[in-house]
Parts: sequence; C-alpha cells; structure tokens
Amino acid sequence: MDSRSEAMSGARAIVPLAIGVAAYGLAFGLLAAQAGFTWAETGLMGVLVFAGSAQIVAVERLAAGAGVVAALVAGVALNLRLLLVTASIRDLFVGRPLWQRLLGAHLSSDENWALTLARRARDPSLGYWFLVGGGALLVLVWVCAGVLGVLFAARIPDPETYAIDFAFAAAFIAISRSLWRGRSDAAPWITAVAVVIVATRLELFDASWAIVLGGLTGALVAAVRRDD
Amino acid sequence: MIDPVLLTVLLAAATFSTRYLGVVLGQYLPASGPWTRALNALPGCLIVSLVAVLLIGGGPDEWVGAAVALGIALATRSLPLTMIAGIAVVWALRTYF
Repeated sequence: MDSRSEAMSGARAIVPLAIGVAAYGLAFGLLAAQAGFTWAETGLMGVLVFAGSAQIVAVERLAAGAGVVAALVAGVALNLRLLLVTASIRDLFVGRPLWQRLLGAHLSSDENWALTLARRARDPSLGYWFLVGGGALLVLVWVCAGVLGVLFAARIPDPETYAIDFAFAAAFIAISRSLWRGRSDAAPWITAVAVVIVATRLELFDASWAIVLGGLTGALVAAVRRDD
Repeated sequence: MIDPVLLTVLLAAATFSTRYLGVVLGQYLPASGPWTRALNALPGCLIVSLVAVLLIGGGPDEWVGAAVALGIALATRSLPLTMIAGIAVVWALRTYF
C-alpha cells in the first residue's frame, strides 16, 4: 500500500472515534469561550497542542482563576503518558526522516495511536502513514469542533445528555480487545489495573499519574517475565 | 487577551517536547530483551489503565455499559459496534433508570 492510500485508510478507520472527538471539541469550545478565548485562540490551541484532555483541564484551571503556571502544570501532568505513547510505537519511526518523526510525534493521540496498534495486530503492513492519516483527520475535527463550540456556545448540549462521554471508554475497551496478544498479557494487564485502582482509591496519585504508573508497572511485569 | 495565547504557546511546547522525547527514547532503548518486552506490553497496559480510570470515575451505569461493550468487543472485534452498544446502554440506563 502506498503512503497516500495508507493515510486515507487511517483517516477512514478513525471516523467512529472522530465523532466522539467532535462532541468533546464542542464541549471544549464552550469551556474556552467561558474562559475568555476567542474562536481564533481556540483554533490555534487545537492545532498547536492537539491534546484534548490536557487542553480541557488547562483551560478549566484558567477559567477557575488559577494562573497560567498552574494551568500549564495541570495540562503537562495529564500529558505525561504521551511520552510512553510515542516510545511504544518506535517501530513506526525507524528510518524516517526528521520531519516525519516530528510530524508523527505531534499527530500521536490516544485515539489514533491505539487504533493503529490494534489494526497492526491484524495487518502489520499498516504503520506510520496510517497513524498520520488518522491524526490529521482528528486535528481537523478537533479544531473545527472547538471553533464551532466557541461560536455557538449557548446552544451546545452537555455530552452526558446522550452518553457521548462514554464513547471513549467503549472505544478503548474495543481497542484493548484487539491489543490482547494472549495469556502472557494477563499478568501485566492485571497489574496495571490493580495499580490504578490502589493508587486512585488511596488517593496517592491523581488519575493522570495513576495511568502512567499503571502502564509502567504493567510493562515492568512483562519485562521481568521470561516465558514469551 | 494575553493569557490564552501564552498558555497555548507554553502548553504546546511542553506537549510537543513530551511526545518527541518519547520518539527519541524509543530509538535509544535496546531492540531486544526486557526493554522490548516492556515496550511491547506498554500499549495494552496503558489502555487498560486508561479504561480503569474512566470506569473508577463512573458508576453502575458505566460499569454495566462497559460489561456490555466488552461482550460486544469479544464477539465482534468491531470498534463502531462496541461504541454504539456501550453508548446506547449507558444512555438507556441514565434516561430510564
């Protein structure tokens, strides 16, 4: 498959997730408008940051009267997992020129990263351009929805009304099914979930740190096992 | 207003650095042995951690929705069907119960 058709198939495959992203983009635009962002500033942030949950948290902090630094720290903490996201797809970047590594890094989000891995489990020929095609469509949808959210702030329904907030949980459940490689995954996955439950229940860490910690401890269990 | 632009520039710089650091890190880690087992297991562990956090933040409606979504995912391996089923169940539970 040439790079163009691979990117197109990445864009097509991401459509169900892009609908969820659109709903969140509208909600983000509404929040940004309340925090005093213009439509242009909201669009700019969408293109340059392209990290939905971090943008939502940072802008919410700003709207709540926390300063720029506090808003920044909240957003950055939420994005730490992106370090692990891009590290875990290193195969996709091997032998790529610098501009492609930079582009691919920026266009890596939870949704297209996870979908690319899930599809690669079935078809290993899919790779870098599948990720980039999906990411490009997500940027477009995220920015347009955010701008529309600012412009039509008064008329945006709450995503919870139609259970759209559950879209990502359902999507990630489907994707984890595709990422399951067999029984050798059981111990790492159970460890990851257990660590997340303990960390959040004991309120040792907030959710964004719990995800990073769960991912790392699960991977550590996989590293020390020798049975695969 | 300076705050939105300032926040955007700083958050964009920090977020991009995080993403690119991961790419660089991935390139320098050994290509076999424990590091590779860890990196190969990492996506699944991150995704189930993410799901766990989302479900801990929810309640019985979301837990039932997740169970139905898991059943559909196991039966069909279809992303759209799993999303539609999960959303429909959570919507119905929130609306009618």
